[in-house]
Amino acid sequence: MSNCEAPDELIQEKIQNIVVFMCNECGQGSANTAGVARMAYDAAIRIIRVQCTGQVGPIQIMEALTNGADAVACVGCCLGACHFFNGNVISMHRIKLMKKVFKELGYSDQFVNQYTSRAAEGETAVGDFEDIIDRLTTAITEKGTIKDGC
Amino acid sequence: MDVKIFQFNGCKKCFNETLLLKEGNKYKVEFISDPKKWKEEKVDVSVITGYLLPNDLEQLEKIKKNSKKIIAYGDCPATGGVFALANQKGHDVSPLTNLIKSTNSVYGCLGEIEELKLVIEGTEVPKLKGLCQVCSRKATCDYLEAINRQIELEDSESCFNDLGFLCSGFTASECKEKCIDYNTPCRGCKPSVDRSGIRMLAMFGTLAGNIEIATEHSVKGATDKLGDEDDDLTDSLPDVVGNFFRFTLPTSGFPKGRIPSSGTLLEDVFIGRLIEEIPLIAGLLGGAKSISLTLKLIESYEKANQIEVSEQTEKYRSELLQLEVELQKTIESEDASKYKEITDKIRSIAGNMNLSNVFFGGFKSIIDPNDDFNEYKAHVFDVVEGTYKNGSIEYTLDQTGIIKEIKISEELL
Repeated sequence: MSNCEAPDELIQEKIQNIVVFMCNECGQGSANTAGVARMAYDAAIRIIRVQCTGQVGPIQIMEALTNGADAVACVGCCLGACHFFNGNVISMHRIKLMKKVFKELGYSDQFVNQYTSRAAEGETAVGDFEDIIDRLTTAITEKGTIKDGC
Repeated sequence: MDVKIFQFNGCKKCFNETLLLKEGNKYKVEFISDPKKWKEEKVDVSVITGYLLPNDLEQLEKIKKNSKKIIAYGDCPATGGVFALANQKGHDVSPLTNLIKSTNSVYGCLGEIEELKLVIEGTEVPKLKGLCQVCSRKATCDYLEAINRQIELEDSESCFNDLGFLCSGFTASECKEKCIDYNTPCRGCKPSVDRSGIRMLAMFGTLAGNIEIATEHSVKGATDKLGDEDDDLTDSLPDVVGNFFRFTLPTSGFPKGRIPSSGTLLEDVFIGRLIEEIPLIAGLLGGAKSISLTLKLIESYEKANQIEVSEQTEKYRSELLQLEVELQKTIESEDASKYKEITDKIRSIAGNMNLSNVFFGGFKSIIDPNDDFNEYKAHVFDVVEGTYKNGSIEYTLDQTGIIKEIKISEELL
């Protein structure tokens, strides 16, 4: 696929629904902190709270993507700080394998991602959200997402 | 009962297996190897074999209109099968359920004839056990230390996954072909759950939880995130699609791939696969020449890389080639009992009709209990980059052992 030269507005139109699975501890915690501090983030972000990102796997990610999500991301605790045992690391392994599948099928692998955040710092969650959108834009302009490429 | 077997595209392994329906003269069986020439008469049960493309839809609708029951027999019409790996390169192989609704399926690459008989008669198929429940190996389900690509034959008691060999048995049902008995990890041709490939991917992601994974610093979030570069996990799994979605790519929910096609559908199935998986894939693609195709692929590599092959191996291989010729004759004469006899002979050497036992440098399990297994035991080989040629086939490997190009001449198809 060649690079697509879509105008910014068109790309903006393609970014409507981004599903973000946030863990109940650090992920959702930092989003709450961001809310308390009245930090703004993109309206396309749809947060789903889960107990741990280790609960999220390829099945849930595919379900989201096939039901209209443009991108899916997980936000968990920092490495080594999972409140259970190692759910965030396991989730990273699964998402890495998902990324590999998309790459092997000829799509961009930038529309599924995993991040970490710190509950006390709202800007870590907001920064992650911005990064998700940046990467989705790259995905759309380069090789395309499974929902919509160019 | 009036039963008609329709062969669409691809290997005729399942189509040939339906010869066994003739045993006992219970059904009035008719074999239709070219559905376009069929005269559209009414029929009780239609059995569909072979992979399906969108342009077969018209024919399938005619079959549906004229039959009381329609059965997808084997993985190709049931889930897409091994040919659906070509969807990675933009082909459109679809399972029967995606083309026409309300069908019965018999899963498996080779579908089981006993199961087909039950479905034809409308009796309920007994609930099958999981493959792990009937496996003789013992699992601990511990995190893996490393992922190994080539099977080592030393340990025959631990679970393949514990040894790092990627077995999809967790999501598969017990089967007759039973690759696991011939030191070949399961690739999930008989799924026990829907979207089995994705579920297995999740399971394997968990098992691989201790393997080093790349992380990077996210500038905007000021925390760590999953990295983009290759790491131990992706390096040891160069072909995720071919491993986890070998039989179920069109039913896993992924759209068809965008990798540019480089030739025929069959060549597209091979491209991107790993060298150590080639014997099994070539065996699966079946057709009349599956044994010669598999052995040619193996021998070209062995010759170029000086992998020694013992006399005993040569003997068994030539026996297999001879059986292939005999099998072809039997199929032409539609002799069910002879067919059974010859396939049993092939099974005794190659393990099953998918040739699980055949490998580089020898065989993966002992063939005759009186043999000295060390004489023809397969062993781990080095992956060597290069172009390999043997008469009617030619293929190129890259340094990780992925097939980049392949040319198969028509006499082998």
